[in-house]
Amino acid sequence: MNSRSEILSKIKANKPASIRIPEIDIDFFREDIDLLSEFKNKIVEVGGTIYSVVSINDVIDKVTSLYGDTKNNYSVLEGSEGFNTINLEELNKPHELEDLDVLVLKGAFGVSENGAIWLSDDQIPIRVLPFITKHLVLVLEESKILQLQHHAYDLLEDEDYDYGLFISGPSKTADIEQSLVIGAQGALSLSVLLYKK
Amino acid sequence: MSHSKAATIFNKDESKVNWHDKALWFVRHKRDLSVHAVKGWEELRGLGSQIKANVMSNLDDYLVQFEEHASKNGIVVHWAKDGTEHNSIVLQILNENKAKKLVKSKSMLTEECHLNPYLIKNGIEVVDTDLGERIVQLAKEAPSHIVLPAIHKTKEEVDVLFQEHLDTKPCDGDPQYLTMEARKHLREKFIQADAAITGVNFAIAETGGFVVCTNEGNADMGAHLAPLHIACMGIEKLIPKQEHLGVFLRLLARSATGQPITTYTSHFKRPREGTKMHVIIVDNGRSIQLGLEDFRSSLHCIRCGACMNTCPIYRRSGGHSYDATIPGPIGSILSPGKDLKKHSTLPFASTLCGSCADVCPVKIDIPDQLYKWRQIITKEVPQSTIKKISMKIMGRVFANPIKFEKVGKTGRWTLRNSPKSMINSKLNVWGKNRDLPDAPKESFSAWYKKRKQ
Repeated sequence: MNSRSEILSKIKANKPASIRIPEIDIDFFREDIDLLSEFKNKIVEVGGTIYSVVSINDVIDKVTSLYGDTKNNYSVLEGSEGFNTINLEELNKPHELEDLDVLVLKGAFGVSENGAIWLSDDQIPIRVLPFITKHLVLVLEESKILQLQHHAYDLLEDEDYDYGLFISGPSKTADIEQSLVIGAQGALSLSVLLYKK
Repeated sequence: MSHSKAATIFNKDESKVNWHDKALWFVRHKRDLSVHAVKGWEELRGLGSQIKANVMSNLDDYLVQFEEHASKNGIVVHWAKDGTEHNSIVLQILNENKAKKLVKSKSMLTEECHLNPYLIKNGIEVVDTDLGERIVQLAKEAPSHIVLPAIHKTKEEVDVLFQEHLDTKPCDGDPQYLTMEARKHLREKFIQADAAITGVNFAIAETGGFVVCTNEGNADMGAHLAPLHIACMGIEKLIPKQEHLGVFLRLLARSATGQPITTYTSHFKRPREGTKMHVIIVDNGRSIQLGLEDFRSSLHCIRCGACMNTCPIYRRSGGHSYDATIPGPIGSILSPGKDLKKHSTLPFASTLCGSCADVCPVKIDIPDQLYKWRQIITKEVPQSTIKKISMKIMGRVFANPIKFEKVGKTGRWTLRNSPKSMINSKLNVWGKNRDLPDAPKESFSAWYKKRKQ
């Protein structure tokens, strides 16, 4: 007998009688709160910085004023030609992004209870981008903020993605004597730029 | 070595023990602040527990579903009945892809299977990329905590270790400097890697995808750069549907560190173009534990570490004293199922205070299971003569009120009138490293009787 059938038959013999799966009543967890201000609070709590811009067209100006003259930049936003120093189509492999300084991506939606922002392949041209960059800027439309993680999966129910992730803050670690250090293996900083539609 | 003996080694450095105790209690405190802010936290725990119970009762079906969907998505699925088979599958995949340099993110399963020494023996360079895991790897030690692998190390020890291995400058243990040096060192390893191994926090039967949670971003740095990604998971990591992630992600990080969610929660469903993705599903004793009705729910564990942070024994004895891949309260109910004799002292490393059950995000009845393991162990594993005799004597005393009163009286008198040198002598294990409380002049029942009159 191969391992697959051995494992499966052992489980079959040893598992308990069927136990029903519970229903999740999201409304039970819902709270009457201001989603935007809660989201902003959470972004700060998880180590990110929050900015508001008037419209999406102001993002690049804001980013340039925040980070100054950086050598290697990439933005997915329209009209970023002057900002971008990298042409993704010319890359042979993702390793060449090693020296990327500033990356600007669009978030699909945010979750107010934990400051997490969802991005999937639609928003990330190369998977390693939001990790390998020194500084990450996520741009999000103010109205796209949900309350709970449950709501996020409600929205993702019909989305078929190859890869997707929630990002909540910059990379961090407390592995040396429980001292929090921002900037571990992923991005050293996270700025979230909110704009109105 | 018994847990209590191993604990005495950790207890030699009193100031370190005190630091360890307080640091973990602080994490427990952060957990409290975080969960108290969640409306319906207890109901959320209830959902977590019920979903996991459903998973266990349909585990074979869910695994087959997962395999089917994952395969359709272009992920190669393997099955390993034990650690040995798991390790040889990993090596075979690496060899087939001519991979020599491997970066790993945190996976307690690969610790359990002793994957690293096996791969190194077979000529593979293995680099653990979680900072805490890298620290213990350089120190040639095992993680002492499942979420905080290097919690037993001081920053000065890390300083010395990095000077030796990463060529850093002496810095009095500056965490910022040391972390940034580790970042540089690990970036180099990520760029050079031929393959990446990650663990799996949750595997979804409905979609064939899996989720990996990290704060450092190391799992993704590895998996998105290397042309080969191998994810290793125990059979119990399955959840039925993607929507159930909503429950478990809300529970996991809050229980672990008090964060509302980990920095990165990555959902892998299909390999990126031109690369390969493999998942290895490992049993290694879990299907046997599934058959033990009293201990089955230990498989519900989502590895948050909250039971360790809250445990008065763990905090004061350190993770290494358990000599098990998973230490602490949850490890003490998981490990005896694997090797009853080797881990026979672990269920006794507890006061049965119940704190672990209070904080467990999936409501595992850890103290009950510790108690039940004790019943089995005292029958099946030979106990010391002193313990056997003293338990017999105590049994007789507790069963007889007159004897109990007499012994109590003698005990109280002896405690009050004996010199400290005798109370804290070697013969009295309760007097080791601690002062006993002042003995009252009368017993509770004498006080109670007086009060009624």
